[in-house]
Amino acid sequence: MRNTWLIIQREYLERVRQRSFLVLTLLLPAIIVGAFVIPSKLSKMKNSKTQRLVVVTSTPQFGEIVRQQLVAGTKPGEGVSADADADKDKDVDDDDKPSRDYAIEVDSNSSELERTALRNRVTSGDIDGYLWLSDDAVAARKVTYYGRETGGFIEKAWLRGQLDRAILLEELAQRGVGGAQADELLKPVKLETMHLEAGRETKANDRGAFFAVLIMVMLLYMAVIFYGVSVMRAVLEEKNSRVMEVMLSSATSTELMAGKLIGVGAVGLTQIGIWIVMAGVYALPALAASASTGEIRIAPLTLAAFALFFLFGYFLYSSIYAAVGAVITSEQEGQQLQFIILLPLIVAVFMMGPVMRAPDSPVAVWTSMVPFFSPVLMYVRIAVQPPPVWQIALSLVLLVVTIAGILILCARIYRIGILMYGKRPTLPEILKWLKYAKG
Amino acid sequence: MFYWIDFGVARDCRIAAGRADAHHRSPILGLPVNTVELNKIRKSYDEFVAVDDLSLVIRPGEVYGLLGPNGAGKTSTLRMMIGITVPDSGMVSMFGEPLRRAHTQRLGYLPEERGLYKKMKVLDQLVFLGELKGLSGHDAARRAGQWCERLGLKEWTGKKVEELSKGMQQKAQFIGAVVHDPQFVVMDEPFSGLDPASAMVLKDAFLELKNAGKTLLFSTHRMDTAERLCDSICLINHGRAVLEGDLGKIRAGYGKRNVQIKYEGDARFLDDPKLVQSFNDYGNYVEVRLAAGADPQELLRAATACARVNKFELMEPSLEEIFLEAVGKANA
Repeated sequence: MRNTWLIIQREYLERVRQRSFLVLTLLLPAIIVGAFVIPSKLSKMKNSKTQRLVVVTSTPQFGEIVRQQLVAGTKPGEGVSADADADKDKDVDDDDKPSRDYAIEVDSNSSELERTALRNRVTSGDIDGYLWLSDDAVAARKVTYYGRETGGFIEKAWLRGQLDRAILLEELAQRGVGGAQADELLKPVKLETMHLEAGRETKANDRGAFFAVLIMVMLLYMAVIFYGVSVMRAVLEEKNSRVMEVMLSSATSTELMAGKLIGVGAVGLTQIGIWIVMAGVYALPALAASASTGEIRIAPLTLAAFALFFLFGYFLYSSIYAAVGAVITSEQEGQQLQFIILLPLIVAVFMMGPVMRAPDSPVAVWTSMVPFFSPVLMYVRIAVQPPPVWQIALSLVLLVVTIAGILILCARIYRIGILMYGKRPTLPEILKWLKYAKG
Repeated sequence: MFYWIDFGVARDCRIAAGRADAHHRSPILGLPVNTVELNKIRKSYDEFVAVDDLSLVIRPGEVYGLLGPNGAGKTSTLRMMIGITVPDSGMVSMFGEPLRRAHTQRLGYLPEERGLYKKMKVLDQLVFLGELKGLSGHDAARRAGQWCERLGLKEWTGKKVEELSKGMQQKAQFIGAVVHDPQFVVMDEPFSGLDPASAMVLKDAFLELKNAGKTLLFSTHRMDTAERLCDSICLINHGRAVLEGDLGKIRAGYGKRNVQIKYEGDARFLDDPKLVQSFNDYGNYVEVRLAAGADPQELLRAATACARVNKFELMEPSLEEIFLEAVGKANA
C-alpha cells in the first residue's frame, strides 16, 4: 500500500509539475473556445452590409407584407412576427434571426422589361438582388431569388420561412382576416415535455441533457486518449529506460500498475477539475440566468453518473493501454494498436445518436449493458431519460466485473511484458503469459 | 581482448568443494548465515533455458563475482535472486530464509543499463527510491545528500537525470541502490561503460561498503575486474555454474601449472607433449601450460638444452585460463 501510494504521488507530482501539463490545461479550453464559440459568435454576428433587395409582386399590398416580414424579422419585439413569447423563447428566436439587415424596395411591376431592368441593376451593383413573386410564382409556391450572393444555408431557410408567412398573411388578408387576428392564427406551437416519474414531474430538458451527454462523452474520449496513451507511453519509457527493473526490486508489478493508473487518473481529474472551474467562471452569469428560469438544469443523478462512468471508463481503457505499453517495444507499434483499443469507444460514440433518440429501445438497453460501451451509452440513457434502476445496477456490475478481470489480465501481461525486451510478442505468446503468470 | 569459446557445458562441473561447511553456521546460534543461497534454480523462456539448475552460496561480508560471457544467464540469475522474476523451479534463500517481499528492503539493486526516470531531478529520484525501500522522506533526503556529496554529485542534485553525463548517471544509480543502507548490494555490470576515473570512484565506494560489512555481488564479463575485487566467484556458461566458490581456493586447486618463459633460440622444447600441454606465444615471451604430472624443472632443463633462457617463472593460472579449462574439462 505504501509503495502504491508513493508511486501515485510520484506519477502525480512529476506530471503536474511538467510544463506540458500547464500548457495543455490552458490550451485546450482555448482550442474549444476557438473551435466552438468563435464560429457560433461569428455566424450570429450580423453582416454589417445591408442587403438591398427588390421585391417584385403583382400588388403593392402584398409587397408591403413581404417587406414587413423581411425587415421585421430582424427586430424581434416589433413588427408582425413579434409575439409576447419572443423574449422567453430566446433559443428559438436566435435561429430565426437573419444574419444581416435588409433594405427592401417594393416593386409591383412584374413585366419582362422590369425583370431585365432589375437584372441590370444587380449587375451594376445598385441592388444586391431581387425576389420574383409574380402571381404565377406565388400560386405555384415557387419563388425565385436572383442575386449576386445567393446566401448561406441558414439564410435561405430563414428567407423561406419569412416568405411562407408573408404568403399566408396575404392569403388571409384576401379572405378578410388581417392584423392581430392573422397573427393569432399563425402563432407557432411550442412543445414542452414533462418527465413523469414516481408521480413527480420535472421539466424534461433535451437541450441540457444533450449538452451534458456531449460534454461527458467528449471528456471521456479525450481522457482515454490523453491519459490512456500517457499511461502507455510511461510504461514504455520505464521499460525501455530499464527503470522498471529498479522499481521491481522494490515494488510489485501490481503496485506499479495500480500506482500508475491512479496517479495518471488523478492528473486527469485535476485537469478536468481546473477546466470545470474555468468553464464555471466563464459561464457563471449565463448559468445564474438559466438557473432562475430552469432552462438548463442537470440532475444530480446525471452528475453522479458522470463521475462514476467517467472513472470506470478511464480505468477500463487505461488498464488496457498499460498492458499494451508493456507488450510493445516502440511507440510506432503502440500507434497501430491504439486504434484497436479505441474501437469500442468509437462504436459507442456512433451508437449515441440512436440511443438518444430511443433510450428505451431494446438496442439501447442491451448495448448500454456491454461493458466497453456502457461508460458512454448508459450515461447517455441516464442523462436523457433515467432507465430503471436494475438496468443501471446491472450495467455497473458488469462494468466493475469486467474492469476487475481486465486489470488482472493486464497486470499479468504487464508483469511479464515489462521485462521482455527485443521483439514484440505474438498473440499466442501473450496468451501463454496469461497462463504462466498466475503466481 | 578476451575471447569466449563455446565449449558447451556438462552439469556436474562445479568445483566448489570444502567451502560452505566452514562458513555456514546455524541461525539459531546467532552466528552469521549465508546472505544468499540459490538451490538449483532454473528459468527458461520458451525453448531457451537461460538458467539451468544453478546453485551458489554467498556469505555475509564478501564480495562475490558472477562471471560469464554475454548471454550466459547472469542477469537472469540476478533477477531471480532479488525477486524481480520467479524461478521455474529451485529455491532462493536470502538471509537464511526463503526469499520474501520484505527482504527487498534490505537489498539494493543496480541494473545493467541505467534505470532512472530521465525527467526527474536527481535528488527527488533518490528520495523516491529510498522511500520505496522504507525510508522516511526526511531520512532519504539526508542520506541521498550525503552520498551525492561523497561521490561529487552535489551540484547536480537539482538537475534532471537526462542532463547528467553517463558516468554521473551511473553514480546516481549507484546511490539509488545504496541510499537505504542495504545489507546486500547487487550490481549488474557496474563498471561497464565507465571512464577509468569514474570506475575508480565507484570501486572505492564499493570497498567502503565492503569494509562496513556489507555483502556485495556484482556480475561482469571481465575476468580481470573480478580477479582484483572478488573473494568468491561463480563462473557461469549457458546458464550453468562452471566453477563456484572461494577464489583463492579455486586457484590453489589448479596449482601453479603455468610457466612464463623468455628465451632466445630454438623453441623445440615446446613440442614435447609429455611436458607441454599447450602454449601461447606472445612474441616477447611464451606462456606454457604444463602437461599433467610434468615437472617444471624438467621443462627448464629441456629449454636450456636448446635455447638461452632469460626468464623462467611459475605462475598461478589466471581466472580466464581456469574458466577455459573448467569448460574444456566439462566438455571432455
